[in-house]
Amino acid sequence: MTAATPLAAPGSGSGSGSGSARRRARGRTRRLRRLPLNAAALLVLALSAFPVYWMAVTAFEPTADIEGANPHFLPLHPTLAHFRTAVHADGFAGYWRNSLVVTLGAVLMSLVVALLAAFAVARMRWRGRRAFVLLVFTAQMAPWEALLIPMYVIARDTDMLDRLSMLTLIYFMMTLPFTIVTLRGFLAAIPVELEEAARVDGCTRPQAFRRVTFPLLAPGLLSTSLFGFITAWNEFAFANTLIIKNQSARTLPVWLSSFSNVFGTDWGATMAASCLFMLPVLAVFLLLQNRVTAGMTAGAVKG
Amino acid sequence: MRSRSRLLPGAAALLIGLTGLTACGSSSGSGAGDDAGPAHLTVWIMRDSVADPVLNAFRADFEKAHKGTTLDIQIQEWDGIGQKITSALASNDAPDVIEVGNTQVAQYAASGGVDDLTGKVADLHGSDWIPGLADPGKIDGKQYGIPWYAANRVVIYNKDLFAQAGITAAPKTRAEWIADTTKLNTGAHQGIYLPGQSWYAYAGFLWDEGGELATQSGGKWTGGLDTPQAQAATAFYRQLQALGQGPKDSDEAKPLQTNVFAKGNVAQIIATPGNATTITAANPKLKGKIGYFPIPGKTADRPGAVFTGGSDLVIPQASKHQAMAYQVLKALTGTTWQTKIATTMSYVPNRTSLAGVLSGDPGASAMAVGAADGHATPNSPNWAAVEADNPIKQYLTQVLTGADPAKAGTTASDAITKALNTSS
Amino acid sequence: MLTAPTAAGQDAADPRGGTGGTPPDRPQGRRIRRPPHRPRSGPRRVLAALWPYLLVSPTVVGAAFLLAYPVIRNTVMSFQHYGLAQLINGGATFAGVSHYREALTDPEFWTVVRRTVWWTALNVALIMLIGTLVALMLIRLGRRLRLAVMSALVLAWATPVIAATTIFQWLFQSRFGVVNWALVKLGFTSYRDYTWFAHGGATFAILVMLVVWQSVPFAALTLYGGLTTIPAELYESARIDGAGPWQSFRLVTFPMLRSLFALITSLEVIWCFKCFTQIWVIGEGGPDGATTTLPVYAFQIAQSFHKYDLGSAVSTLTVLILLVALVFNLRRMFRQEGKEGTA
Repeated sequence: MTAATPLAAPGSGSGSGSGSARRRARGRTRRLRRLPLNAAALLVLALSAFPVYWMAVTAFEPTADIEGANPHFLPLHPTLAHFRTAVHADGFAGYWRNSLVVTLGAVLMSLVVALLAAFAVARMRWRGRRAFVLLVFTAQMAPWEALLIPMYVIARDTDMLDRLSMLTLIYFMMTLPFTIVTLRGFLAAIPVELEEAARVDGCTRPQAFRRVTFPLLAPGLLSTSLFGFITAWNEFAFANTLIIKNQSARTLPVWLSSFSNVFGTDWGATMAASCLFMLPVLAVFLLLQNRVTAGMTAGAVKG
Repeated sequence: MRSRSRLLPGAAALLIGLTGLTACGSSSGSGAGDDAGPAHLTVWIMRDSVADPVLNAFRADFEKAHKGTTLDIQIQEWDGIGQKITSALASNDAPDVIEVGNTQVAQYAASGGVDDLTGKVADLHGSDWIPGLADPGKIDGKQYGIPWYAANRVVIYNKDLFAQAGITAAPKTRAEWIADTTKLNTGAHQGIYLPGQSWYAYAGFLWDEGGELATQSGGKWTGGLDTPQAQAATAFYRQLQALGQGPKDSDEAKPLQTNVFAKGNVAQIIATPGNATTITAANPKLKGKIGYFPIPGKTADRPGAVFTGGSDLVIPQASKHQAMAYQVLKALTGTTWQTKIATTMSYVPNRTSLAGVLSGDPGASAMAVGAADGHATPNSPNWAAVEADNPIKQYLTQVLTGADPAKAGTTASDAITKALNTSS
Repeated sequence: MLTAPTAAGQDAADPRGGTGGTPPDRPQGRRIRRPPHRPRSGPRRVLAALWPYLLVSPTVVGAAFLLAYPVIRNTVMSFQHYGLAQLINGGATFAGVSHYREALTDPEFWTVVRRTVWWTALNVALIMLIGTLVALMLIRLGRRLRLAVMSALVLAWATPVIAATTIFQWLFQSRFGVVNWALVKLGFTSYRDYTWFAHGGATFAILVMLVVWQSVPFAALTLYGGLTTIPAELYESARIDGAGPWQSFRLVTFPMLRSLFALITSLEVIWCFKCFTQIWVIGEGGPDGATTTLPVYAFQIAQSFHKYDLGSAVSTLTVLILLVALVFNLRRMFRQEGKEGTA
């Protein structure tokens, strides 16, 4: 349970490191025996990357090549025309901004709220704690699509329809349970002794948390926010239902789905639009991934 | 304690924010304020309905006539439109005027979310509205949907490609049509672009055979796709569909068939004549090269049966500018704009007395031939539910990709029967 | 941080169970040295006892308004006559259990339930199998190749669902899709212009591929993280005892990572069971209902047929089924909660 940390499994230390050293020593026959392993690795690599690669290739290819008899695996005549089509489709910049605002808002909210709760669960002992954890886990099962209508009715009766703030609140709640579970796992992985030592040195409990635990937790916070970012950035059903009249408040997933309705036959433009949609997620991923792995070894004090 | 003081305000702010959420008062209710003053109105028009230039002209004209009023004309996609209109009707601040397909208007009229305009019928010259649009908008003697325009499908063809293939006269029978289309269907050109799920076109073939989408007896509906007539229609549809590269698993809106035709390598599509405007907007080179002929029937003396399509306009009760919304509706359904829409889009105007404006329009005259044998979808408020998860489309795809027509027909018929007989 | 296999006899409620921060207000539970110079006065102790509740209160308040309340509204709706007219004008009347009866006696509902179970089982089995194999592969790879494979996995993971779905539609497009092209090149000429999305089985298979493609990275990377925490000595001694690869997996890897496997499996069960966007975007549960799972079914009933009441009943049943499926896991977790802090 405490291991609910997607990227953060700590302590790379012993296992793989000494393993590779050992392997190096075994000489050339080993290399031959590793052939199937490396082939499998290449296969996994190809299967994982190909769809995304193909999206990019299609997006940069002129339509004549896309609809040619044989597909090209590299864009022979690279063009930005499809990206121009996608960017010039009405309202693109605004939808982009909306998505970003909603997503970041939801992620920040859920991080702050989840951190408080995770701390209470991982570091304190109180009546109702077990029930709370159980409820958090159950909340992950929430059938969000089924809540569209009640949520619509609630939003309408509170005058929250057509508002990005309503979407932000919903995405906050969608990501909160997972964020709590994950952060709690990270917190549990940080030895409480460190904090106690700081308190022996005269820190108050909050100070100890801030100066000792929080820096160690930072990578965990980042990688957890990644999940929230993806969830909120992707969400389609609520964005499609709760934004009705105020079209300028649409978000990117809704835009992408209506885009593929209008430009359905134009696979180049559709793939370019998908690229643009994916870009921020990828950027955040790459940005955070580095810090997460770097922080991971640092965080693995307990070995 | 410093960081406690930093954490607490955040938590408090959140609590306040969340409780504030419920405290913002429930101002539900229809909000039928009758402010005739300056306002910002939202009008929903369907994709591929009236072309942008016409709408832009209307907006400019209306805004000039009503100082201080601005119009926001939003184009809606057909995909998922039922859900969208439903959410709009149920909201507190709905769009002010909505275009609704004539097969779906009955459902919204029955829902109670749309203004009852019975008192305005005379003001809107309702005495000679065309029945195919007025009837579906009327429930229990009350008029909710106001007729906007009608249209039925014809064959739109590319004159250049017909000339290249040496075809000089439009086909009059199905046999001639198939022969010509086969000639047109070379490697580089598609004889006809007929998406696998063009169910309006299919319905025409079905009516030609004497079949029905569904029949009613004793208050109970029965789907009609498991009949021999349906199988005969399917056989013809299949033969025709194969003479081009229309996707078997998609309809004419995805991708827009007008965009496909605009590329210039498609000889024919089945569409309302007004689509020519969209085509030439997408590819100006095709201007003057687009022709029309009525969908051929089984024999030369009887043209193919067609579905009488069209749109009604409704004003949601939740519109906040009732009076001005009515002005928009009145202008759009009035003589001036009916004439403009009819002449630029080749649509049939909403009143029989205006039919004269179309004389001399080649698209409209092709349409008029077919209109003689115009049909409607089963007259039930539940029909919209059938279209929402359309079993006819799925049936066509199944059959075109090799399923047994009898078996697929039974499945589809059962689905139609079930949807039409639900009590709502 | 990995939970070791449950030690027998440890009472769930045993407060001594962990290092997880003994609360300052319960001296009887102290096991760890706490800074001795910190005498507490009465009111401060009350405040300290309140702290955890203050900390979880934003979560509780948020969940009450944004989750519990909609769920209650949904449940209430399932006992009412709630259609389009009621959505617009209110005035829903009590309907008793009629919608539940209607759903449970409809053979289509049970077909959908069976399909959902099959869908979830197939996806989760594939994800866990492939995820485990990839994780085991990753740990044996050289540094550079491992980094490359991990990056590719991250790429698949990072692809937004709507974008991924669009990409798969393009890969399997009938005329210009690269999959059909490749199949024809390989000699399967019957796949020329094959319309994948017109066939129930084919669409189902593509959806499974899509979900597996997107979910394997999470499972594989998490398991890989877990594998790196297993000391090499354990494998060494297993080998000395004559264990083959399969045995060392069974005797060392699996027991060490048992709780991690359980956690990932239950998360994947939840995610696959609830999967909606991919299915809806590809074919709205079609063709011919071949990919209609419970969430899609409930959505269709509510949104296409405006039977919000029946849709609510189906979605309530959906949650109940999921709860029953995971009840063992929840019970295990609940018990384990007593002795947290296995870090």
